[in-house]
Formats: sequence, C-alpha cells, structure tokens
Amino acid sequence: MSELELRQTTVEASADHLVPRRRRMPRPGTLLAAAFVGFLAVATIAPFLVWTQDPNRIAAAEAFESPSLAHWFGTDESGRDVYSRVIAGTATSLLIGVSATLIGLALGLVLGVLASFGGRALDFGVNRVIEVLFAFPGLLLALLVIVVAGPGPVTATIAVGLSTAPGYARIIRGQLVGIRSSHYVEAARVLGHSPGRILARHLLPNALVPLFVLATLGVGQAIVWAAALSYLGLGAQPPAAEWGAMLAAGRTYLPTAPWLTVFPGLMIVGTTVATTMLGRALTRRGREGH
Amino acid sequence: MWAVATLTFFAIRLIPGDPAQAILGGPGSQASQEALDQVRRDYGLDQPLIVQYLAMLARLVTGDLGTSYALRTPVAELLGAQLGGTMLLAVLALLVAWILALGLSLWSTGRGRTAGAVGEGIELTAAALPHFWLAAVLIAIFSTGLGWFPPVATGTPAGLVLPVVTLAIPLAGFLAQVMRESLLDAMQQPFVVSARARGESTTGIRLRHTIRHASLPAISLSGWALGWLLSGAVVVETIFAMPGLGRTLLQAVTLRDVPVVTGVVLLVALVYVVMTVVTDVASRLADPRLRQEGAR
Amino acid sequence: MPAAPVTIRSPWRRTGLIATAIVTAVTLAGCQAPQPEASGDPIEGGTLVYASGDAEPTCLDPHVGGNYPQALLAGQFLESLVSRDESGEIIPWLAESWEPSDDGLTWDFTLREGVTFSDGTPFDAEAVAVNVEHLQDPATQSSTGYLAMGKVDRVEAVDDLTARFVLTTPDSALLESLSQPWTAMQSPAGIARGMEENCEAPVGTGPFIVDGWVKQDHVALVRNDDYSSPPADAGHDGPAYLEAIEWRFVPDSASRYAALQGGQVDVIDNPQPDTIAAAEGDDAFTWIDAPRPGAANRIELNSGQAPFDDERVREAFIRAVEVNDGIEALFFGTAERSYSALSSAEQLAYSDEALFEPDLDAANTLLDEAGWTERDADGVRMKDGVRLALRFPVSTNQSIPAEQSLFEQVQATAKQAGFDVVIELLDLSSWYGALFAHEYEIVSAPYTKVGPDVLRILYHSDSITPAPSGYFANLAQLDDPEVDSLLTDAASTSDEEARADLYRQAQERILGGYYLLPLYDQQNSFLLDADVEGARAMPTVSTPTFYDAWLAG
Repeated sequence: MSELELRQTTVEASADHLVPRRRRMPRPGTLLAAAFVGFLAVATIAPFLVWTQDPNRIAAAEAFESPSLAHWFGTDESGRDVYSRVIAGTATSLLIGVSATLIGLALGLVLGVLASFGGRALDFGVNRVIEVLFAFPGLLLALLVIVVAGPGPVTATIAVGLSTAPGYARIIRGQLVGIRSSHYVEAARVLGHSPGRILARHLLPNALVPLFVLATLGVGQAIVWAAALSYLGLGAQPPAAEWGAMLAAGRTYLPTAPWLTVFPGLMIVGTTVATTMLGRALTRRGREGH
Repeated sequence: MWAVATLTFFAIRLIPGDPAQAILGGPGSQASQEALDQVRRDYGLDQPLIVQYLAMLARLVTGDLGTSYALRTPVAELLGAQLGGTMLLAVLALLVAWILALGLSLWSTGRGRTAGAVGEGIELTAAALPHFWLAAVLIAIFSTGLGWFPPVATGTPAGLVLPVVTLAIPLAGFLAQVMRESLLDAMQQPFVVSARARGESTTGIRLRHTIRHASLPAISLSGWALGWLLSGAVVVETIFAMPGLGRTLLQAVTLRDVPVVTGVVLLVALVYVVMTVVTDVASRLADPRLRQEGAR
Repeated sequence: MPAAPVTIRSPWRRTGLIATAIVTAVTLAGCQAPQPEASGDPIEGGTLVYASGDAEPTCLDPHVGGNYPQALLAGQFLESLVSRDESGEIIPWLAESWEPSDDGLTWDFTLREGVTFSDGTPFDAEAVAVNVEHLQDPATQSSTGYLAMGKVDRVEAVDDLTARFVLTTPDSALLESLSQPWTAMQSPAGIARGMEENCEAPVGTGPFIVDGWVKQDHVALVRNDDYSSPPADAGHDGPAYLEAIEWRFVPDSASRYAALQGGQVDVIDNPQPDTIAAAEGDDAFTWIDAPRPGAANRIELNSGQAPFDDERVREAFIRAVEVNDGIEALFFGTAERSYSALSSAEQLAYSDEALFEPDLDAANTLLDEAGWTERDADGVRMKDGVRLALRFPVSTNQSIPAEQSLFEQVQATAKQAGFDVVIELLDLSSWYGALFAHEYEIVSAPYTKVGPDVLRILYHSDSITPAPSGYFANLAQLDDPEVDSLLTDAASTSDEEARADLYRQAQERILGGYYLLPLYDQQNSFLLDADVEGARAMPTVSTPTFYDAWLAG
C-alpha cells in the first residue's frame, strides 16, 4: 500500500525541518518509546519472565472476570489470563509484523532493482506489474492469496507482505534512479567498477538506510492488517495468542467484557506508535550524522 | 485493465474448489452428477481453460462482464446497483477525513512541542485503529448507549454517519500526518516569513497561505486513499449491513463467483485510473507552478 | 429424554421452560388452536422488520440448491403438503390426508380444496406432479430436495385433488421429507417462467408474497389477502395479521442486536449466547429457542484411519474431554448438554449420559493398553515414534465464536491425557477440502433434516462413498454392517413401533462404539421485541413463521 510513500514523505519532512532544532538529548517521548520496545523485546525473547501464569491455562469457571489484582487485564471467555496472553502473543504478533514487512521489502527490492537496472524494456514491464498490483485494493490482494493458499498465520503474513510490496518497489526504484545519477556513482563508473560492484557497494547501502527506517514504521501497520484478516477468520490458529486474533475474538463480547479487546488493541497501537517514534528518532540521528 | 483481468482470472482458477460446485450452492451440497454436468455445460466450464479465458476476453471487449454464477444476473447490472452506495460512502469518508485531518493539523502545528506531540499521538493512534474494532466501539457508544444513530444503515442520512466516521478516522490519521509535516514546512517558507513581516496575524497566515501548500501532498494521496477506503468498505459494509461493492466482493470470493470478482476488480482499477487523473488536475489547480507547466 | 422441541422461554425465568413452552398444543383437524401467549386481541396491520444473520440466499426458490437460509425465507411464502406438530406427529397442511398402499410403494395424497397460488393458478394434483418433476430435473440444480425425493419414481394425478406418489422402494421418511421447506409447493406457472425469474420471486400459496428483493439489503414481503391454507396447528384462519414483512440481511451479530435494542428491527435470528443471556433479563425482549431437527451438534471421531480405528483410543478421547463447564460458561446457560446423536426435537432421540462421563484415569489406562505409552517433551503420547496428534478442521462459517472457544477447551482438556489436538480454523471451502481429503481425525458438522432418518445419512456405510462433489456425510466413517441393516430396515418399515425400536438399537450401537461426542442441540434462536406477539418456530425445520404474529403497541 502506499501509506508507505506517505510515511516516506513524513519521515523525510520531519527529519528535514527538525535538523536545525534538535541536536542534544533524545526527547522524553523517544525514551518512553525505547522503553516500550525494550519491554516488547523481553516479552518476545523470554515471555515467561513477565507473564503471570500459563497463557493457555483454561479455567471455564473463571471466565469473563474483569481486571483485578489476580488478573491484571481480566480473563477471557475460557477463563484464561488476558495479560499473560497479551505477553505470550507479542512474539507471534511481532513475527507476523516483521516478516510481512521483510517479505514486502525483499520483493520490493527485487522489483525495484530490476526496474532501475534492467534496461528500458524491463523497467517498462516491471512498472506495469507494479501498477497492476497497485490497482488491487490491499485487502482484495490479501484475500486472493489466502483463498488460493489456504488460511493460517503463514499465509496471512505472506498476504500482507505481498500487498505491501508494490509500495516498497516504487520507493526503491525512485531511490535507486536518484542515486544512480549522483556524483559518486558517476565517479565509480569512471573508475571502471563493474555494475554489480556499484550496485553492492554504493547503491544498495544508500538506498537501504532510509528503507530501514521506513520498515520500522511498516511493522505496526502490518500487524493491523493481519488483525483485519484475523477478524475475517483467516489469521492465527488457536490456542496461540496473537493480538489481532484476540481483538477479533473479543469483539463479540465488547459490550459485556471490553477488556478482551481494549488491551490487545492498546498493544497494537502502542507498538505502532513506539516503532514510528523510534524510526523518526533514527532518521533524525542519521541526518545529523551527515 | 487487460492485465488486471488476466491476473484475476487465473488467480481465481488457482483457488481449490470446483466452480460448478460453487454454482450449485457450495461444496456442502450433495449435487448429483447430472446437475454438475448440466452446470458445466451451461457455463462453458467443460471447455479448456484457454478457451474459457479467450471467451472472457471477447466478452469484456464488448463491455459484457458476464453473468454471476451465484446470483444468475448480469454482473454489470449487479455492480451498477452497488457502485453508487459504495462510492457515496467512500467519497463522504474521504471528505470527513479531510476535514478532520485539516482541523487536527492546523490545531497542532505551530503551537509548541506539547501540541505537536499530542497531535502526533492522535494521528498515530487513529491510523492504527482497525475498522472492525472502531465500528464496534462507535456502535456501543452512539447506538446502544446514546441512541443517536442507528447501527444498521437503512439508506437514511443518519444511518450513514457511523459507517462514514468509522472509515474516516484511520484515514484522517494518515492524512493529518502528511498535512502537519507540510504545514510545518510551509511555515518556514519565504512567503510566510514575508507575510509575517508585513504584520499579518498567525491565524490569517495559516488560513491564507499555508493550507493550500499543505493540502498538495494530501491531494495527490487521495487516489490511493480511495482504494484504501474500498478495502475498508469490505469490513464496514458487513458490520453496518450496507449494500455495496465490498460485501459483493466478499460474498463473491467465498462463493468462487469468478465473473463478479473480475467485475469488481476491473471496476476498482477503473476508479483508480480515474482518480489518478482527477488528483492530477486537482493538484494543478492547487499549485500555481504546476498550472503554468500544464499551460505550456 | 426429548424436551418439547420448540420452547418460548419467558424473559424472566428459564425454569418455566415447559410451562410457558408449548406454543401450540393442538392438532385437531381444524385450525381453532388458541392464540398462544395472547395478551389482548390481535391487531391488524403493520410491518415487521426481521434481521437475518444467515447468509443471503442466492436464489429464493428453495428447490434450487436447498440450504437453511432459503428455508428461513421460503417458510413465509411457500407451503408444504404436510407439517409436523410439537410432538413430532405429521399433520395436514396442503394435503388433507394420505394413505400408503399395503406394499408401501404408492401413497395417495388427498389435497385441500379451493387453494390457489398467489398468481391465481389453482393448486391441484397436477401442480404436485410438476413440483416433484422440478425437484428431480437436473436443470433445477436441486440438492436437498432432490435427495429427499430420492425414492420417488413419479407422481400421478389420479384426479384434481388426488396425487399418487409412486416409489421405487418403501420410504418411512416420505412424510417427513415432504414436510420440509425444500420440497414446498410452487405455482407451475411460476416455475415455467424459468429459473432466473423464479429465483427472484417464487410463487406459492403462503400467507405472504414476495414483492421485491434489493440484493444485500432486504426482501420485501406483503400479505396474501386471499390466503386460505394454514397448517393444522396454526392459531387462526384467513389472511395474516401483519401487512408486510421487511426481511433484512444483517451479517454482523453485534449490529443485529444493537438494531433490536434501538427498535430498528423487531426480530433477529442467530443471536450470540451472551446476547441471549443479556436479553433474557430484559422484559423488552422475548426469546424463541428452537433447536433444529436432525442431528445434535457433535464432535465426530474419524474411525476410518489411525489412531481412531482403535475403539480404545476413541473411548479414551471421549473420557478425557471435559465440556460441561465450558458449555455452561460460553453459552451462558442457553444451551443444554446433549448425550444423543439426535436433536432433542426428535421424538426418537436416545441418550446415554453414562457413556460420556469424563474420567481422566480411565482415559490414561485405555491409552496405555492401546500402546500409546511413550510421551514426548510436550507431554504428548507417542507410539512407534508417531505422536498422538488429532487434526481438527473447524469451519468459521458454521461454528459460532462460542463453539470455537469450546473447541479450544476440548483441545486443552484432551492434552492432559496426552492428545495433541491441532485446531485449524478454515473458511467453508477449505474446510470441505480437508474433509474430502480425509485430513481430519475429529470434526464437527451440523446436519438438519426432519426425522430420525438423518441417522441413515450420517452413519450408514453407504454415506462413506463420496458423492460426485466429493461430499460424504458419514464423517465418523462408521462402517458397521449391523448398524447398516438396522438403519435400512428402519427406513422401510411401515410399523411405527418396530421403527422406533430399530432406531433405538441403532443409536445404542452408534453411541456405544464411541464414534461421536454429543455437545448440544443445533442452536437456533430468535430474539423478538416484546411487542411482537404470536410468532413461533415451525416444528418442521424450526424456521420462524409470522402468520399468527401481530404487533402490539
């Protein structure tokens, strides 16, 4: 999707006009975001350190208990502890977000490199492919992938990745075309370096740095997209906890047990906000370094 | 357009499941062999794939989108009936998103760091809200709680409020991000500085000079936004029980109704193309530099 | 044993189940049944708005295909030859009486006199013949009705009001088959218009007439002012009280309930259990609980392949799984645990609670005996290096969220005995795909049919052979010659007592072989605004009827 391009604009814009003002300590917001991401990292690597009980332990008699000291985020329809499930779901959710982004990025990279280096005909061809993919609404593309390959967390991830690929491809192509005509590439060409070496040594590193920032921002959105697929019943499989799936399952009980959806929802929003803020801070740092 | 049609045709063929089964009421039906054969003949499904493909292209060229497997009515008629509702929903949502985004970004820029941070927080949060969840919350508050708006859209203006707002809020989050950044950018432009030097008030400057500047990137995004809204419409139309393209598409995908899916995809591609042209024109109108270029 | 099949539970007390329950008790030949739950005289006029959560039909003619959403709507404008009353007895409707021959191969139906379809075509024996031909014509693409008419060779019009069904083999389920909406009578002139037109607005003899269909929005039904043919258990004579019904399609359950609360609609179907529980404590709503006939919701164990080809492993699974607490919590007391293969709506349903008593120790012993003695790191049992894994495809279209959660609890409790249940949430097509490929050890699939003959469809070994579509109904893959012969005999005997006995023996044998774990009746509920009076569910396939309904206040 092209919220990517949109994010690119914002990333660059914010970096541009912030450069002169900020040159000292990181903002408190950035610190908070870093702390949150740190917590997410712990929850991903060693969830058992932070959860309070087995996230899959079922106690039908304790279903639908509101948040309390024993169950910080309440219990769900099977009496499972929502807080522990949110923690246990971190790894799956982030995995979906990160791998979807990586898939989109990798595909976008291939298409983008092909378009900008494969000569005129290939550029034209690849551009048409990108445009065709672009004309599909993202959810439709994802739906098609899922119906073809069967539902499940893996296909959901691939589907989300695929639907973000055309956006990345367009940006990468734009970047590469820009860099290709820059002075240092001209210089390298004059020095007689092979195209492959130029690509590897100069073009990719220069194109990848902004992409990396962009990708941190993509993770949150990928989780939201995967959540929409879970709502349609095509996401993670039980009993695995996953934020999107929890959100989708809890929606049924929203009027009576809002805590089932509020907390996983907060995690998704929190993750998106935190990674975006860190991404921006990174860009600022990158610009200052130049 | 041709590429889109081809891609859709083959993508749907990849879907496991027999279209003849789909026509006979889904895989759970216990259709007899005779009935299956009959359907295959009627719809030309007994022909080789390439023949089916060419037949589809030939029909498309003449503007015939084919007949729905499931509903047995011409696809063009079917989509024609649904297009209006969805476009109304999408365009209204786009307008509301624009207004929300403009309001938020005007409010949050140039008022110091706190306002900026709050604005940024609201934008990011709004953009990260899944439609299905937002819709449920809005229904709980405004239908069940306050009783202001009906939860099921029945074609009345009041019924449109919640679906439009559900679609608009996340989009407004995206648009506001872009607008705020370009507003900030605009505030440092020479013409703003000179206006300020002339003694114009801050509000005056905002309204007169910077909005136009800020809206440029947002305008060029509107084509994309409309496609994005159509994705969202799948969910929103289901929740609010509105007739529309999104629901048609979802039903067609589950029923493996190839002609309808192809039709919807072609229609959306067409809307995308038209929208690109429209946004081009709109940005020319908003940006004098582009207008001159166009005139040359 | 079987409870009353259709119960209106009063908003304030569930123990009043049977007391308030019987909607209509009656079945004298006439139609003078007292108005149930009447609070004042019926008021003429008004439009009732119905919000349906079932899929929107693709064709309103239930002869085409033949699924439940079609039946829901068709019940308003089409009528059948016979109906069923609360006790499960077949009662007259469009046919006044019927008489099988001694060999059971011909049935003469005497039709009601003076009935006309809403297009003016008279309802006569010729019309019955046309309808059966329509069902049996491959071009109609009928599935459910086609199967129901499987043993009918042809229908002859003996005279205007006598239709003779000529069968190929005796069929004790013929009347039950004819009571279903999928075999309802339509105007021959309507059928002759061709499928496309007939799908848009089928013409019947019912109390309402299809007036228009706005796709994805609603079907408009208006009163049939010349209506004269209510079933024998109806509450009054003559045309319906309601002037019109607006039948809306509202797929999202939360939106449906919100619309009912806001007074935007008068009746909703498929409410979620938590919604029913909330509405139950509210005088503003009435709950109609009408479990579907046919099979109960149950988990089938695939005995056709390892590990469930071993009866000890099947029994171990059933003993290990604990569902009662889950049903109580997830369904908020709206669903009652079943111990029978058949719906409680079936008179001949046989239950045996003792067979399904959870007992973890017994389960462990059985598994040890069966050779599943090793355990891997996750505590899952192994035998010869194979893990005791059970694939469980779950259809997200057919299992409501509460049921999906229940399956997660099944997964958790089965794990204690060392089963690794792998739940796969699938869309309908992928789900059928998994079944066709035998990629399942456990599965849950609903099946609605009037009468105990559903057992033959679900557990006769013939049903293991797939239909051309790949579909097979015997998902337990139960292959037992004795069950086969009991079910075949039951389907062809004309002696009521012998039939009941044969079905009881068959059920004992099926349950005793641990092929299935019954859960509860196929949930089928309606929530009504308290102002809606006189609505009830048909005792045939539990679709609602609004013929006797009226709007108070």
